[in-house]
Amino acid sequence: MSAPATIGPATQHQAFSFGRIGAITSNTLLELVRLKVFYFLLLFGIILIGSSLFMVNFTFQQQFQVLKDVSLGSMSIFTWLLGVLSTAMLLPKDVEDRTLYTILAKPVPRFEYLLGKLLGVLALLAIATALMSVVFVAVLYARQQWEIAQAIRSLPDDQIQAAITGIKEAAFGGSLVQAVIIIYLKAALCASFTLLISIFASSMIFTIIVSVMVYFIGHIQGIAREYWLAEGAGPMAKIFLSFVALLFPDLQLFNLVDDIVVGTLVPAMMFWKTAGLGVIYILVYLFAGYFVFAGKEL
Amino acid sequence: MKRLFVALAALLIFGAVKLPFERSLAAEHRRAFFHAAELNLELREQIGQGGFIAALSGFRSVLADLLWIRAHVAWENTEWGRMKLLFDAVTSLQPRALPFWEGAAWQMAYNASVAAFNDPDQPREALRQKAQREYFQLGEQYLLRGIKFNPDRAILFDRLGLIYQDKMKDPCKAAWAYGEAAKRKDAMPYVQRLALYNLARCPGREAEAYSGLVKLFHKGKEERLLTLLTRIDELQEKLNIPPEQRIDTAPDRKEATPR
Amino acid sequence: MSTPAISIQHVTKVFPVPFRREKVVAVSDLSLEVEAGQVYGLLGPNGSGKSTTMKIVLGLVSPTTGRTEIFGRDSTLVESREDVGFLPENPYFYKYLTGEETLRFFGKLCGIRGKALSQRTKELLVLVGLENAADRRLGGYSKGMLQRIGLAQALVQEPRLLVLDEPTAGVDPAGSREIRDLILRFKERGITVLLCSHLLSQVQEICDRVGILHRGVLVREGRLEDLISIENQTELILENASPALLAEIEAKVAIFGGRVLERRKPQTNLERFFLDVTGDSSPSNTPGTDDRTTRSHSHS
Repeated sequence: MSAPATIGPATQHQAFSFGRIGAITSNTLLELVRLKVFYFLLLFGIILIGSSLFMVNFTFQQQFQVLKDVSLGSMSIFTWLLGVLSTAMLLPKDVEDRTLYTILAKPVPRFEYLLGKLLGVLALLAIATALMSVVFVAVLYARQQWEIAQAIRSLPDDQIQAAITGIKEAAFGGSLVQAVIIIYLKAALCASFTLLISIFASSMIFTIIVSVMVYFIGHIQGIAREYWLAEGAGPMAKIFLSFVALLFPDLQLFNLVDDIVVGTLVPAMMFWKTAGLGVIYILVYLFAGYFVFAGKEL
Repeated sequence: MKRLFVALAALLIFGAVKLPFERSLAAEHRRAFFHAAELNLELREQIGQGGFIAALSGFRSVLADLLWIRAHVAWENTEWGRMKLLFDAVTSLQPRALPFWEGAAWQMAYNASVAAFNDPDQPREALRQKAQREYFQLGEQYLLRGIKFNPDRAILFDRLGLIYQDKMKDPCKAAWAYGEAAKRKDAMPYVQRLALYNLARCPGREAEAYSGLVKLFHKGKEERLLTLLTRIDELQEKLNIPPEQRIDTAPDRKEATPR
Repeated sequence: MSTPAISIQHVTKVFPVPFRREKVVAVSDLSLEVEAGQVYGLLGPNGSGKSTTMKIVLGLVSPTTGRTEIFGRDSTLVESREDVGFLPENPYFYKYLTGEETLRFFGKLCGIRGKALSQRTKELLVLVGLENAADRRLGGYSKGMLQRIGLAQALVQEPRLLVLDEPTAGVDPAGSREIRDLILRFKERGITVLLCSHLLSQVQEICDRVGILHRGVLVREGRLEDLISIENQTELILENASPALLAEIEAKVAIFGGRVLERRKPQTNLERFFLDVTGDSSPSNTPGTDDRTTRSHSHS
């Protein structure tokens, strides 16, 4: 018995293929979009428009500040939630549907599978962040134009130009673009971490709970770190604190929005370092995840 | 399972590498005026456990807004004591927000002080005046604390100068505050003038004020406002400037219209 | 002899039980070869180690000791999967994809793209008879259709080996028959098939060789005919035989020292009867299946 001519020789194997990763990424994105996750945008829009119509008693600086706080704050929580929840379900769903087996039984390296999944989530987060930014900028712009119209109507001619400059500064002044990028990176970091957890987690709930805990601990990591390195803590406390400081990311470093909305400027160098740290975290979690996944019995 | 522990160990090693970087980056952030809020036990008592967690995890700013709105409601009900507590929390949460410091100081020094002075329940004027002075000081304190967190901005110095000048009637301090405002990059065009006007009234600083005012005078016609000319005249008298060195303000006086 | 399609060499797989000392031995010192071009049936009750063996072959699970190869390439290497297509038990795939999109997705995973991918997708849809359902989402597919799209995706990169886990589980008789016929067609095209099943009658109909696993141990292995034919017995099926002829034959048998053990009328099997009654089996779907018993009634 020998193989007849219809069967060719084995296809040439590529050790790394963007085509394969692209296929998994776009499929993951499609899968997430099909879950109708973008409905939350409606909620986001309602919150924004609600907060922009509100508080007519405040000065325009205060009104813009509230609008930006609420917008960027909701953006921050929505991207984070989206990142964690969608990532947490990816692997369990593929296991449940056995698509994980069909995909890995193809000549797809496990690293590419994992990378494709993560890139799918990152693409989803990018789209969500972009959409929210568009809504945010639109509402802020509308509010600014309204405020300018008010100023033109009520102020004497020689003060109008200064008033308009002031309004524009209050509306779009500050490092808003950097704020949005850092919000995205923070959500992406949390997604990457969630993916790592989901590789060895026994259930989706476990993944989500751990991920949420890490989110909160990550925000006080800085405090734990400084307390650990300062004198005074007992030996047991020191061990615990060092564990927290070493193992958790300092998420406070990605929490610049609170200060950006009030006009604190982000220096370019500091921005790049912060963004770079975010990217490094994403990669470290990806590779750690791959290491565990590579040895996983499916 | 074995791989999990190896991964954990690798993450710990990475932790040791990233730790110094995170520390220096955190310091850099603080130098750029980020994370200035002091999230301490006192604040936790004020905003509660839930609020504290929210503040820690990226909702500091939103929380400050909410408390600010509450303070606004308290104002409508003229609950001055409650307002002060809320202002304390708001400014602790969001120390880089100038409108909060400014608003809190204004409420205390301008609204609460007037209400205290007109308090119908307090018949003794001395006590009402004392209460009023205390509210001035509260306003001053908000601005001074705000300045500590925002040493790079002019606006709080400017507001402080106004309180010293109009409320506390202390031209020396007002001159200092306006002078500090004038040193900031975002200084308003009028603060230098106001600094000198106040300095002119500050005992012992008249000569200094005079030379500054003369400098302004020579800067150009647009600086020669009526008050400036009046102060120059006053100081020329007071300092006994020899007539040949004196500036004749009369030609400009005709052109300058009182504001 | 050519390289075997599958070579399993002394494979043992031990699963640790969490929080317990004792371990579960899923497969114990298993050695097995599947020659290229064969249809090999791996049989055994649930929990006998069939699925674990299959997963080891596919590199989804790594063996505790021993090694497996696909056409000479170690199963732990990703490139060994270039040569194998896998249909898991009860596959669901992505419900939101259409049949065509599913095949395109798996094609891309195998590095096929552009025109070649479109063409391959069409071919496969025709092969498994789903060309009319190509634009429907998998969420609306029947069990049998899912199984067929599963076979199509397994074949997308033209592998020389197919690994099928319970391909007819949960499929109605007509669908089951279609799948069986497809497997035979693959065999005609020279594709090696490893089939795991506990539906023995089907295995019997299509497999060249079988191995029986029991508690992780290969208890029997060999050519199907060798295993189940009774060497000293012969079956004779006659049509229109008169009682006289039968008496004659029996007499002759006695003369030659043989013995008639049993005399009965052959029965159609229930499956065939079901298909007859429901008229659900299309004639095109029955190529080359040799009937072991004639369907004509032997009325005497």
